[in-house]
Amino acid sequence: MAPLLEVENVKKHYRMGESIVRALDGVSLTVQQGEFVGLLGTSGSGKSTLLNLIAGLDRATEGSLRVFGDDLARMSSAALSVHRRRNVGMIFQSFNLISTMTATDNVALSMMFAGVPRGDRDRQAQELLGSVGLADRVGHRPTELSGGEQQRVAIARALANAPHLLLADEPTGNLDSRTAAEIMDLLHTLNQRDGRTVILVTHDPSLAGKHAHRTLTLSDGVFVRGPES
Amino acid sequence: MTFRDAIDLALRNLRQAKLRTALTVLGVSIGIASLAGMVSLGLGLQEQFVGRFTKSAMFDTITVLSPADRPGVMAGGLRGRGPGRGGARTPEKPRPPLDDAALRAFAALAQVKEVYPNVRTVVELKYGQFAEPFVVSGVAMSARNEAAFQTFAHGGFFTNETDNACLLTLDAAKRVTDRDPKELVGRQITLTWAATVPGADGEPPSDSSLQVRQVDAPYTVVGIVEREPGPPTPVSNYSGVMIPLAKARTMNAIDVGSLQALRAPAQKQYASATVKVTRAQFTQDVENRIRDMGFNAVSLNDALTGAKRAFIILDIVLSLIGSIALAVSSLGIVNTMVMSILERTREIGIMKAIGGSDGDIRRIFLVEASVIGGMGGVAGVVLGWVVGRVINFGANLYIQSQGGPTGNLFSLPIWLVAGAIGFAFVVSLMAGSYPAARAARLDPIQALRHD
Repeated sequence: MAPLLEVENVKKHYRMGESIVRALDGVSLTVQQGEFVGLLGTSGSGKSTLLNLIAGLDRATEGSLRVFGDDLARMSSAALSVHRRRNVGMIFQSFNLISTMTATDNVALSMMFAGVPRGDRDRQAQELLGSVGLADRVGHRPTELSGGEQQRVAIARALANAPHLLLADEPTGNLDSRTAAEIMDLLHTLNQRDGRTVILVTHDPSLAGKHAHRTLTLSDGVFVRGPES
Repeated sequence: MTFRDAIDLALRNLRQAKLRTALTVLGVSIGIASLAGMVSLGLGLQEQFVGRFTKSAMFDTITVLSPADRPGVMAGGLRGRGPGRGGARTPEKPRPPLDDAALRAFAALAQVKEVYPNVRTVVELKYGQFAEPFVVSGVAMSARNEAAFQTFAHGGFFTNETDNACLLTLDAAKRVTDRDPKELVGRQITLTWAATVPGADGEPPSDSSLQVRQVDAPYTVVGIVEREPGPPTPVSNYSGVMIPLAKARTMNAIDVGSLQALRAPAQKQYASATVKVTRAQFTQDVENRIRDMGFNAVSLNDALTGAKRAFIILDIVLSLIGSIALAVSSLGIVNTMVMSILERTREIGIMKAIGGSDGDIRRIFLVEASVIGGMGGVAGVVLGWVVGRVINFGANLYIQSQGGPTGNLFSLPIWLVAGAIGFAFVVSLMAGSYPAARAARLDPIQALRHD
């Protein structure tokens, strides 16, 4: 069976006025199911760009990204949206919850796009919120929740539709150290107990070192240590 | 995402911006109200016109004119209806004469219910000191069902066609007496005319012995009819004095043009005749067949066809005027949607990131626009109706003060209600399509960075 994710010599170049920015300049990476991979790098190193490419939010300039052998470059934009809802769950630094919706509605929204009937998705959303420790917060709006709670809602949303891959982009960047530890523990549990594959983007080597099976460091669009180190 | 989900999302979004939604809906409703109001006005005017037309005579009636009448003369005759044409004819014409044989031929046509000649002649009406010439016309007993004889000011229709009974119009009655016209009912008047001898017996006069005598016939006034105001029609049985048709046909009143006919009553020709068909839908068909026989035939259909064409043009012009407001309000929808998308850029980015496709995003905004349109359409029809009633009320007050007939100037049939709401829907979908496409095209990464 093809690995969950194969990234092969991927380049992403942007044109910025006269100059060309090489956000990614030949990156290769393979992730197997059940892995916890840490992506390290300073701001502007290209790690978020790589995450967006894996999520199918953007297309690579060159190279291929394959999920279970299917090349994302060959997918239509509609197929990419199916990839986003089925294969990946995204967790952002700034949570990215819809402020006018309750926690349940936020989690149920991605299931709505997947065509899950209303009753089912509300029930599943509440189960997911319970599993991240928010059973008593299902009817609250993001503004009524703490940062840690908001990030838990976002994680519950990422878990909706049972994706193969969790993509976490600096998930603790906006949290205090105690809450950050709780969130990391939650991601760790999801990986260890439930076997979810996690790719964690962070600039904090200690965070990555503590939870990830392996860490890769990006600098100026290339891995500075061997990708499989 | 189901359609129901899209509607729920759209309603949620619209509730987020209540004031903006309300203002946009108001704009659409004004546009729809002006459009529906204008079309409604056109329809109302048309109904008023056609209604009067229909009342003044029936659509199952064809008037056949003597072929001697050229079209120009015919048209003049329709309006003028000059007296003394009861026996007018022109010989030496290859066209068929409008005589009893022709009437029998008409009666033999399919879908023809009744045929009778139109008899009109000038008589002198005497009542006490009053003596003036009047046009007397023969009214068929079947005319009882015509709208014109449904409303009597006083009295009623003939009970039979053998009595010396007559009907007067209210105008004629007022000329005859200075007192309350009501008092005329049951009174006797005298009609005086010149008849051929021995016309009354039906015996043909000889070439040399054509004699004329004065006939004084007592007639009892049985009813007074109020003339409906309306356009002049070619098939009206109206004149100041009306007597049963059977009576009118045996008057044998003398007419300059009818000398030859008097000598040979079998060849008597008529200026015009009335043909009634079983149902109004056959009028055109029968009319065409009578024309094929060489006669001039006219019916209300002819006049109405032209009038309807004029009303279609009026409707188009009115709806174009009404559309201007709708065009402006559709720009309001575009503006509202563009603003809404700008505000919700980040939300769109989130939806895309968690699996919303371009199509899903487009659908959400299209549904949002069409919900605005639907609400605006419903509100617009209500608004248009209310404004129409108010204008109608005011206009009728004015018309009444001017002595005109009142009526509904606005007509709002169910198809117009449905059409207006449907149109609001379509216009809002078109107005929403550009903003929706813009939302669908948003780059999710850029959108997620948007504040």
